[in-house]
Amino acid sequence: MTFAPSHPVELLAEGQSKFHPVDPDGFREWVRDHKSRAMVSKLMTEKEAVEKLVADGDYITYECNYLTRGPNLVINEIMRQHKKDLWVAGKFSYPDVGLLVAAGCVSKIDTGFFLCTPGVKAALAEGRVEIFEYSNVVLTMRLEAGAQGIPFIPIRSFGGTDGFEYSGAKLIRDPFTGQPTVIVPALNPDVAVIHVQQADKFGNARVFGTGISDVPAAMASRKVIVSAEEIIDTEEIRTNPGLTKIPYWCVDAVIEAPFGSYPGTVPGYYASDVPAVMECMGAVLRGDPQPYLEKWIYGVHSHREMLDKLVGASKLLDMRKREVIREGYRP
Amino acid sequence: MTRAEAFSEREMAMCAVARMTENGKTYWAAGGGTPLYSVLLGKKLYAPEAQYVTEDGVIGPIPMLPFEPMMTMVASRPTYRALSWGTMNTAGYYAQLGFLDYGVLNTLQVDKHGNINSTFLGEYGHGGRRMHGPGGADTIAACCWRTILITDQEKRKFVEKVDFISSPGFLDGSEGARERAGLPRGTGPWRVVTPWAMYDYLDRRLRLIARSPWVSIDEILDECECKPLLADVIQVMEPPTDEECEILRTELDVRGQTSDAAGGWIIWDGEKYVKGT
Repeated sequence: MTFAPSHPVELLAEGQSKFHPVDPDGFREWVRDHKSRAMVSKLMTEKEAVEKLVADGDYITYECNYLTRGPNLVINEIMRQHKKDLWVAGKFSYPDVGLLVAAGCVSKIDTGFFLCTPGVKAALAEGRVEIFEYSNVVLTMRLEAGAQGIPFIPIRSFGGTDGFEYSGAKLIRDPFTGQPTVIVPALNPDVAVIHVQQADKFGNARVFGTGISDVPAAMASRKVIVSAEEIIDTEEIRTNPGLTKIPYWCVDAVIEAPFGSYPGTVPGYYASDVPAVMECMGAVLRGDPQPYLEKWIYGVHSHREMLDKLVGASKLLDMRKREVIREGYRP
Repeated sequence: MTRAEAFSEREMAMCAVARMTENGKTYWAAGGGTPLYSVLLGKKLYAPEAQYVTEDGVIGPIPMLPFEPMMTMVASRPTYRALSWGTMNTAGYYAQLGFLDYGVLNTLQVDKHGNINSTFLGEYGHGGRRMHGPGGADTIAACCWRTILITDQEKRKFVEKVDFISSPGFLDGSEGARERAGLPRGTGPWRVVTPWAMYDYLDRRLRLIARSPWVSIDEILDECECKPLLADVIQVMEPPTDEECEILRTELDVRGQTSDAAGGWIIWDGEKYVKGT
C-alpha cells in the first residue's frame, strides 16, 4: 500500500480586505432555530417580506439582475422602505447596484460586475460605500461553500490578481497536492432574493432556463425570499419532483409576482420592456437617478400598483407576445 | 468570397477572431459584445462544430438571432435550443475541470505580459477611474487553456504594466508565475487581436505577428505605450469579406453597437484600403 506524501499547510499570501464573517456552526444553529421544517404557507406581499426579513445592515444577495429574471419587485421594495447599510453581492449585476446606491441602501459591495455609475463613483469617493474585489465566479463559488456548510472553498482562479489583494482570499500550500491553492471564505448572506417562474405556497420552487447561482444562494442564506410568476399547487410540484430546484425548507417568504421582473425579461414568460429598460439604464448612467426612483419606486406603493398605473395591460400583453420562445419553460 | 469595400474597424477585429475558431473546440465568450459575436460568426462560416458557453452556463445553444438590446445571457433567445442549461457555478466548474479550450475576452487595458485591467485606471483607491470589474473574465483568463483578447489599438491600452490586474495574464512574466499563484498549469494568454494588429506571446512577452493592410508597423507601434516584440515576419491580415460583414450586420450586431458603426471605418479607394474620414 502506498501513501501520497503529505505537505505542511502553509499560508503563502492573503488578501487585506474584510469579508462577511464565516460561521458554519452559527449558520446551523440559525437553521435549527429559524428555518421551519413544517409545510406552512409562506405567502405574503413584497411589503411584508421586506419588513419581516430584510434588516438594516444585512448582507444581501439577489439572483440574476434587473434586466433578466431579477427579483425587481423586492429590490424596489427594499428601496421603497429605505433599508440602510446593506452589504450587497454585486455579481452579474447591472443597473441594480447603482439604483440601490442611489437610494441610499448600500454601504458595502462585493463585486463581481456592476455598472459603475457616476452615483457609485461619487459614493465611493465620499466614503459612503466600500468595494471589495472578487469576480462573478469567485462570488458564486463563495456561495457554493456557504451552501455546503463549510468554511471556505479552494478555487482555481483569482490567484495573482490585484483583486486578490483587496479581498478576503488566501493562498495556501495545499496539504494534498503540495501546490499553491487559492481559498476563499464561504458566503452565507443574511438575505437571498430570488425570482422564479413557479413555486408553491410553501416555497418549493422551479427555475427554468439558465441562471447564476439560484440554488446555492437559497441554500446558503439565512433568510430567503422567493417571488414567483405563478403560484402552483403542491400536487403539481409532486407530479415532477425533478423540476424542484429549491425545496420549501430553504424558503422564508413566497410572493405571488406576475411580471415581477418588470422591466426586465423572464425567459419563457415575457420579453423585456425595452424603452423602460433604457429609461432605467439612462437614469443611472447619466448620474441622475432620483427622478427615476421617484417615478417608479417611491411614487407607487407596490409592484402591482406600478404595473397598473405606469405600465398597463396593453404593454404587458405585448411583452408576453414578444417572448416567442416557450420550449423548455413550460413543463 | 470578395473582400468588403467598406467596414468598421471593430468588424475587422471580430472577423480575425472568427477565422481562428476550430471545429471540436470549446469557447467561453465573455459577456455579449465582440467576444460572443466573433465566436458566432466563426461558427456560422468556418467552424460549425465549435461549441461555446457563456457565463450563465448555457452549453452549445443555437441562439435565435438577433438578441434584444443588452439581453445576451439569462434570456430565451441567446440560450435557445442549447444542449444544456447550467448556471454560473457550473460554467466555473467546467472551466476548472479543463473542458474549455479558448476564452474570448475584451478589455480596456492590457500589458506586455497579457494581464488585463477592467477594474481601475490610476492608483487603486486614490482618485482615478473605477470601472465595471472583471465579471466572469477572471475565471476565463485563469482556467481556459488559451485566452484570446480583443481590444482597440490605442496607446493607453497597451501598457508596460496594467494599473490593476483584474484577470491574469502571465503576471510578472516569470516562468511558472501563474502556477505559483495557484492557477492551473498550462493555461494563459494566446492571442491579442485589434482592428490593426494581431499579437502572440514569445516567452510570455507580447509579440506583434500580423498587421492590417492599411497600417504600417510603425503606426501600430505608435499606438503602443509599451512596445511589443516583433516577429521575424509580420503577416498581413485579410480584410473582412462581404459575407462576413453581411452576417455581422444583418444577423448579429444589427444595431451596429458592438461593431462601433459610428466609429472608425476602412474604405477601399480603388487601389488600397484607407482610413475613412
